[in-house]
Amino acid sequence: MVDVFVPDTLDEAVGFLGHHAGAAIPIAGGTDVLVDTRTGRSAPEWLVDLSSLPGLGGVELDGEVLRLGALTRIRAVELDPELQRRAVALVEAAKVLGSVQIRTMATVGGNLCHGTPSAEMPPALLVHDAVAEIVGLGGRRSIPLAELFAGPGRTTLGPDELLTSLRARVRASSAGSCYLRQTVRWSMDLAGVGVAASVEVEGTTVTSARVALAAVAPVPLLVGSATETVVGTDLPSEVADEAGRQAAAACSPISDARGTADYRREVVSVLVPRALRIAWLRATGAWPEGVPAPVNGVWTEEDL
Amino acid sequence: MPAGPVGELQVVGHRLPKLDAPQKVTGQIAYADDLRMSGLLEGAILRSPHPHARILSIDVSAAERLPGVRAVIHAGNVEQRRFGYGDDNLPLKGDKVRFIGDEVAAVAAVDEETARRALELIRVDYEVLPAVFDPFEALEDASPSIHDELPGVVGNVAMRWDFDDGDVDAAAARAAAIVEGMYSAPQAAPAPIETHVVIASFSPSGHLTVWSPVHMVFMYRKALADCLGLDWQNITVIQPPVGGSFGGKIDIDSHDFIAVMLARHARRPVRLVMTREEEFIGTRTRQPIHFRLRTGADAEGNLLFRDAEVVSDNGAYNAWGSHAMLVAMSTITSMYRVPNSRIRCAVVYTNKNYGGSVRGFGNPQATFAVEQQMEELADALGMDPMDLRLKNANQSGDVTPQGMKITSCGLSECLRIVREQSGWDQRRGTMRDRHRGLGAAAFIHVGGGARIYGSDGCGAIVKVDDSGQVTLISGSSELGQGSETALAMIVAEEMGVPIGSVQVVNSNTDIKPWDVGVHASRTTFVAGNAARLAAAAARDKLLATAAELLGAPPAELRIRNGMVEVAAEPDRRIDFARAVRRRLLREEGTVVMATAFYDPPTEHQDKEYRGNISAAYGFGAHVAEVEVDPGTGMVRLLNLWTAHDVGRAINPMSCEGQIEGGSAMGAGLALSEELVMFDGQIAAPNFHDYGMPTAVDVPRIVVNLVETVDPLGPFGAKGVGEAGIIPPPAAIANAIADATGIRPRAYPMRPWKVKQWIDSGERSHVVVAKGGLDDG
Amino acid sequence: MRIELRVNGDDYRREVEPDLTLLHFLRDVLGLTGTKWGCLTGDCGACTVLVDGEPVVSCLQLACQVRDREVTTVEGLETADGLDEVQAAFVSNGAAQCGFCTPGMIVAVEALLRSNPSPTEAQVRESLSGNLCRCTGYNKIVDAALQAARARLLATDIA
Ligand code: FES
Ligand code: FES
Repeated sequence: MVDVFVPDTLDEAVGFLGHHAGAAIPIAGGTDVLVDTRTGRSAPEWLVDLSSLPGLGGVELDGEVLRLGALTRIRAVELDPELQRRAVALVEAAKVLGSVQIRTMATVGGNLCHGTPSAEMPPALLVHDAVAEIVGLGGRRSIPLAELFAGPGRTTLGPDELLTSLRARVRASSAGSCYLRQTVRWSMDLAGVGVAASVEVEGTTVTSARVALAAVAPVPLLVGSATETVVGTDLPSEVADEAGRQAAAACSPISDARGTADYRREVVSVLVPRALRIAWLRATGAWPEGVPAPVNGVWTEEDL
Repeated sequence: MPAGPVGELQVVGHRLPKLDAPQKVTGQIAYADDLRMSGLLEGAILRSPHPHARILSIDVSAAERLPGVRAVIHAGNVEQRRFGYGDDNLPLKGDKVRFIGDEVAAVAAVDEETARRALELIRVDYEVLPAVFDPFEALEDASPSIHDELPGVVGNVAMRWDFDDGDVDAAAARAAAIVEGMYSAPQAAPAPIETHVVIASFSPSGHLTVWSPVHMVFMYRKALADCLGLDWQNITVIQPPVGGSFGGKIDIDSHDFIAVMLARHARRPVRLVMTREEEFIGTRTRQPIHFRLRTGADAEGNLLFRDAEVVSDNGAYNAWGSHAMLVAMSTITSMYRVPNSRIRCAVVYTNKNYGGSVRGFGNPQATFAVEQQMEELADALGMDPMDLRLKNANQSGDVTPQGMKITSCGLSECLRIVREQSGWDQRRGTMRDRHRGLGAAAFIHVGGGARIYGSDGCGAIVKVDDSGQVTLISGSSELGQGSETALAMIVAEEMGVPIGSVQVVNSNTDIKPWDVGVHASRTTFVAGNAARLAAAAARDKLLATAAELLGAPPAELRIRNGMVEVAAEPDRRIDFARAVRRRLLREEGTVVMATAFYDPPTEHQDKEYRGNISAAYGFGAHVAEVEVDPGTGMVRLLNLWTAHDVGRAINPMSCEGQIEGGSAMGAGLALSEELVMFDGQIAAPNFHDYGMPTAVDVPRIVVNLVETVDPLGPFGAKGVGEAGIIPPPAAIANAIADATGIRPRAYPMRPWKVKQWIDSGERSHVVVAKGGLDDG
Repeated sequence: MRIELRVNGDDYRREVEPDLTLLHFLRDVLGLTGTKWGCLTGDCGACTVLVDGEPVVSCLQLACQVRDREVTTVEGLETADGLDEVQAAFVSNGAAQCGFCTPGMIVAVEALLRSNPSPTEAQVRESLSGNLCRCTGYNKIVDAALQAARARLLATDIA
């Protein structure tokens, strides 16, 4: 049977985790942890309940910098009006994660630290240049988010370490982002392929771009080559398609019940250009604010 | 019983809430897992991790020593006999296990955790045997033999279903167009939200009571007795409210026997609750079926023949699934007028979970093949598929090649309605640039019982007490589909009392009269006729008494709104309940009670599969509209228009509910639902990966009820419970074809498969096309 | 572990196993069996309850994590006049067939209407997508939710 430890402070939590290294795991929303313990994927002796620790939630904006507490509920991200304007990929990723109930419980930190290759939050945060802030027995440190992921179900966090918050870049204007997925069902599904893209422009010319992928590699993947292709262009569809081909070449999907490796690679090459184009339309103001992208990025003029 | 004059109906035909709805929306109703019982032990089952293995030894000593464990059973320490249609199954396997999930041992303990820990302590030595998962491979000589213990089984063929009518080869020689192709249906699951729960308890005198949401309850009781050597008379089966079945809970299963054996060993009541994982792994599924089908027509579009080679993937044992061909066959021979047909079907054992009787029972699978070919054939002939369908539609008065007598048939009207509503004539074939398409499918399905047993009947008792409360005691049971309410409405109508005066008792074998069970969309028709007969007889008794009181002959009386009145002079009347009391509370008084047993005029099919298996047949048609994303293969179902010939809608709201629910299940089959397996192992036995549609996946389903008033149905009603699920896989496949030009070959049409067909250019195969029709 | 919490307006103080889920706390400790389960993995929504007014799947919530909070289950929705608007709309629209998804579904609709009193059909579908129903095909559930929303707005207007 599992026991539960309820720390009052972050230090106490870190101390307990360090002391019971390997035998204790943190629990916040519980939506992944309790499924894992139920199905035998993990068998900890202790759960360290972080859910009532103060100061780890909340969405704060300071200029272009977003600070997202690790205990921020996915639902709060989805409903945040400022994020709906400035970090659309993040909001779109939040919207398709599980159900309302799951989003009400699950936290941003949990979604990142569970290390699921198909998780929604990682690509959406990666395209916003997120940095992970970590605390452990050795003190605090920050790493680019991409360095948090070590493989399916694994992170680079030490057994005593906790993710406390994320810092991300969310520009207020001349920037746009988007998150798209391929799924079997149109709701309540894990991504077969997930694609996030962000674009910054001057006028209509791309000055910076990011593309990140979910479910097509052991870890969430930031695709540098695709980015280079689109910078300096007005993102015509040939360029977007080329970025898609590069992303497809960069990933290393597996075959499973959700599709073959070849299929997934092909879907990457389809969804990346769509996500880039929508991000660009948003950055240039051509996409009306508040209109979500269809989950697979197929839209017509009527939708706008 | 004939429908009789319907006149103006007071209750039947009205949209009434289900009688049990208030209890359901408040959480008051107690399902099996909500029952609380003193001394109850929790059971758990040890299942085979191997798809095919010989059991060399079982050591349960450590499990038995675990504190809190009250019984550990396995084939070596229980009394059990073979069960199942092929006499090929044992509750606890003794010699071999034949699929991952096969039951090997079981424990009962003071709580769930102890029971699960005890399972971990059981040591089983297996000799792993080569296994076979593909039914075509299972047919090969070199394949491992799954039931080598049964001398009758050769080449893993559990059963054959062969049918011949007319001369297919001669018809093919005359055909202007023939389409040919493979069509496959996957292993799917009924997946009710409530898992199986069974509780077994022996009284000190040895009387067994079982609480189980099963719905062929009298057969269940007999099977328990036969398999476990119990006295049949000493068993009571109580059916708690059912949290959905869709056929999954129809029949007895290994775990039912196991619960009883555990209770016997532990001498305590035992409850077995399936987890969701076990529900997928170890309870009955919808069997995969593969069809190689050819359909031919002449140049005018008259169907000439169907020719089918069918392989039905039975799984490890013969349960109801082995008989799904009974229905699949009727669709191949009798959906539309088909003058010549030939079927060669093998039901093949494989080392997988085995098939049961899931809603639609072989029909969604067969319709997927048959109705795709109708549109392929129409395209090959340059005809509109709706015209082809209408030209060949079944009509009232037809007798099909299998001897099915069609007494009422609204197929043509259903086709016309969905054609009109979907804008078929203007829109089909015009939306490919937007990757949208329309596709249709129709169906035929039994709707007036289905004779699969000595009797196809149901008993009913109607009694009226001194308060005027009318109680129907019906042999049939409620699964959530609303049959209880429909039966109460039939009784209220027949007796002239308000629906609020009728209650239904239907869940205890000690009380209720015999019934075959809830299957084959038969309850409204068969149980409804039984209830109507009993109600009419009870009413007549009451009228006899009222006649004395009112001084008018019974024939001149009628009952309306709970008053017995002289029809010609409605002011001469007495209260219904008073009439009851006057009959009861006097010297030599009698209770107002009547019984009836209705066995429909159905026939057993003969050895050639001919015979009028049902007393009525339901028909209907769907049109689906989809949008296909050619980049990812994702398909969105935008619209589903349905029209169903229900004979008469006893309760239109419930009829719609059945059709909507069935259609949504059909849409799930079409697009997402599958038990994906690798080497006999279900990859992810959970709701998430199974792919049941959510409220976002299903569009608003449009339902049209077509009332043909069947001559034998109660007030003209026919069965509707399964119907909705049948057309969607075919209609959606046809819509995908219209949107993309490809021809789907299998469902579920999950994105990667659709993408594969698009990339490979999968097309229809037109094998004969006279008169310059081009191929594809 | 000792917890205190309020369920359907009543305060409870109970000793619980630390790994006990809220679902099992409600069903087995308090005997409130109105809340159902279909999967225990968060995929079906049958176990939905409100915690401080927000919908959660109680199968993935530890009882000890809801200490000092307020839980509402289907049993807590009835008003002094009987069924609340959502329950009444489920009855009159035929939205409950087998009824097994119904308690979770009704609680999910309650949660929706509290945050969005006049949802569109698409919003209703979106917010119920975590509640599987195998029986109804969702038409009548969506109708019930929309009707309940109208009834509630009307009631507030009148008041
Ligand atoms: S039982 Fe909790 S979501 Fe299914
Ligand atoms: S009413 Fe049966 S699952 Fe919804």
